[in-house]
Amino acid sequence: MNGRSVTAVRSRSSMPAGMVWLGVAAMALLILPLVGLVLNTPWARVGELLGDPSVLAALRLSLLTSLSALALSTVLGVPLAWLLARHAFPGKALLRALCVLPMVLPPVVGGVALLLAFGRRGLIGEPLAQLTGITLPFSAAGVVLAETFVAMPFLIVTVEAGLRALDGRYEDVAATLGASRWLSFRRVTLPLLGPSLGAGMALCWARALGEFGATITFAGNLSGRTQTMPLAVYLQLERDVDAATLLSLILLAISVVVLVALRGRYLGSA
Amino acid sequence: MSSRTARVRSSDAPGGGGLAADVTVALGAFTLDVALHVAAGEVVAVLGPNGAGKSTLLRVFAGLVPVDAGRVELDGAVLDDSAAGVRVPPEQRGVGMVFQEHLLFPHLSAAENVAFGLRAKGTPWRQARTQALGWLAKVGLSAAAGRKPRALSGGQGQRVALARALAVKPRMLLMDEPLSALDVEARLAIRRELRAHLEAFGGPSLIVTHDPVEAIALATRLLILEEGRVVQDGSIDDVTQRPRSSWVAGLVGLNLYRGHADGHSVRLPSAQELVAATSAHGAVFAAVHPRAVALYRSRPEGTPRNVWPGTVDGLDAQGDRIRIHIDGPLPIVAEVTPAAVAALDLGVGGEIYASVKATEVVLYPA
Repeated sequence: MNGRSVTAVRSRSSMPAGMVWLGVAAMALLILPLVGLVLNTPWARVGELLGDPSVLAALRLSLLTSLSALALSTVLGVPLAWLLARHAFPGKALLRALCVLPMVLPPVVGGVALLLAFGRRGLIGEPLAQLTGITLPFSAAGVVLAETFVAMPFLIVTVEAGLRALDGRYEDVAATLGASRWLSFRRVTLPLLGPSLGAGMALCWARALGEFGATITFAGNLSGRTQTMPLAVYLQLERDVDAATLLSLILLAISVVVLVALRGRYLGSA
Repeated sequence: MSSRTARVRSSDAPGGGGLAADVTVALGAFTLDVALHVAAGEVVAVLGPNGAGKSTLLRVFAGLVPVDAGRVELDGAVLDDSAAGVRVPPEQRGVGMVFQEHLLFPHLSAAENVAFGLRAKGTPWRQARTQALGWLAKVGLSAAAGRKPRALSGGQGQRVALARALAVKPRMLLMDEPLSALDVEARLAIRRELRAHLEAFGGPSLIVTHDPVEAIALATRLLILEEGRVVQDGSIDDVTQRPRSSWVAGLVGLNLYRGHADGHSVRLPSAQELVAATSAHGAVFAAVHPRAVALYRSRPEGTPRNVWPGTVDGLDAQGDRIRIHIDGPLPIVAEVTPAAVAALDLGVGGEIYASVKATEVVLYPA
């Protein structure tokens, strides 16, 4: 705690006692489960559990798919954020609402929607399978698709807000100095967008890593192929609570790392 | 002043070099309609009230705002031609621009900022850096080469911005209120340096400013823009002595009337008559310097032909003189000494007579 937050707390000490107790209750609700998770970690079995092939496979698949989803979200999401932030076109408000809908959509609904679109008999899935022989459901690629569907909107809204806050005149300056649009984007816009892009990517990755509902609906729960960490946690809970706890702790640790990376945005500025 | 015939065109472009533009740009209800020639080496200050379209004009020349109708030519090369569908993008125009807040790229050092345009043109990094350091030396900032913009003062930032714009050797230089974000001290120093850089530049330059002193200090020609149109385009003497709009007259501190001359007599729209020593015919401007306005407590007798009653509307100090705003059949501003104010016991609401000698009324065609 630094000096500033101490004075900030002090200056609000005139808060009614009822509010303070409700606040404490909220904190307990949010923090105690995490404390329970840490306290119940089977430290003695860590080595053995981490050597378990199914745990390792889930860990490996989760990293692979979530990073792929992050890459896909960045490559596709940044240009979409750019379009939404910088260009006026008819139906833009509706389009934006549809693009960020997965943020509030129950993930299982997303999974059903993905099945209907990309499933074997889906709108896109059927012609895709006929033309290329590729089927997405129940594959690692399907996991990436499900995670991207759910996580990309977080990147889009963060980057779009960053682009809106960015002074467009810097791009004007770059143009008058002879920089092409693309050079100006790479050397001026992207660096200035850095903090927003970083935050968007961190949020997107965290969401992809934790994705459960859409993944299990669209890609299933096949160990080694589509069973990511959250799915493994769910499955292990019925077989081996220790393994579930350890996997949960790993996910918790990653979340903490992401939150620390975002501290300028969601922590700190109390 | 809104009719197209009232538009003032400058003389023909000398020798085909420099900027030749005749453009119309519609932005919502606002229309910018400007014809302009700027010779190589000429520095034109663009003055005008807020919202006159000064910055828009520069952005049009820089290629940042599309031309709706008309043509822009620089050194004989067409940059915009609406009839032929030509629109050269900003990065290919060779038009340098310096903005009000220097707008240095915050993530790049001073040297990297200056090298940016050279790198964009494909200059190898080592060479670009050498040239950038050379430009920083020219603006007296060699020591700040490695500093990020946030570590530079306003004046230093504006020097770097100028070096950055000049480093790519633009064919034309545009400056949008380059000094207005600076404090008074930095402004004086940068203004002096800027003048030297502009003299060395050699291409046509346009400077947007709202400060007449800055315009006179930096430019050889003034372009007055009001509501998207050129109301006056001329030398400093021409504009300061023969203003062609009430805004310019106010800027240079003259009383300006527009009327119809018939010999020595000028009939004003208010049905008042103004007598001049020179004679003219047709639509004219009549300018009267506030110092030429004499004030009396009672109606004066003798030589002055132009005498009007009025009431004092306001007083303000102007250096060591006092400006008296007089309301009446012919509103006029007089400039007198503080001693005269005391002697005449002038206060707001006081009844007064203003008179102007016919020899002090300057007539020129409207």
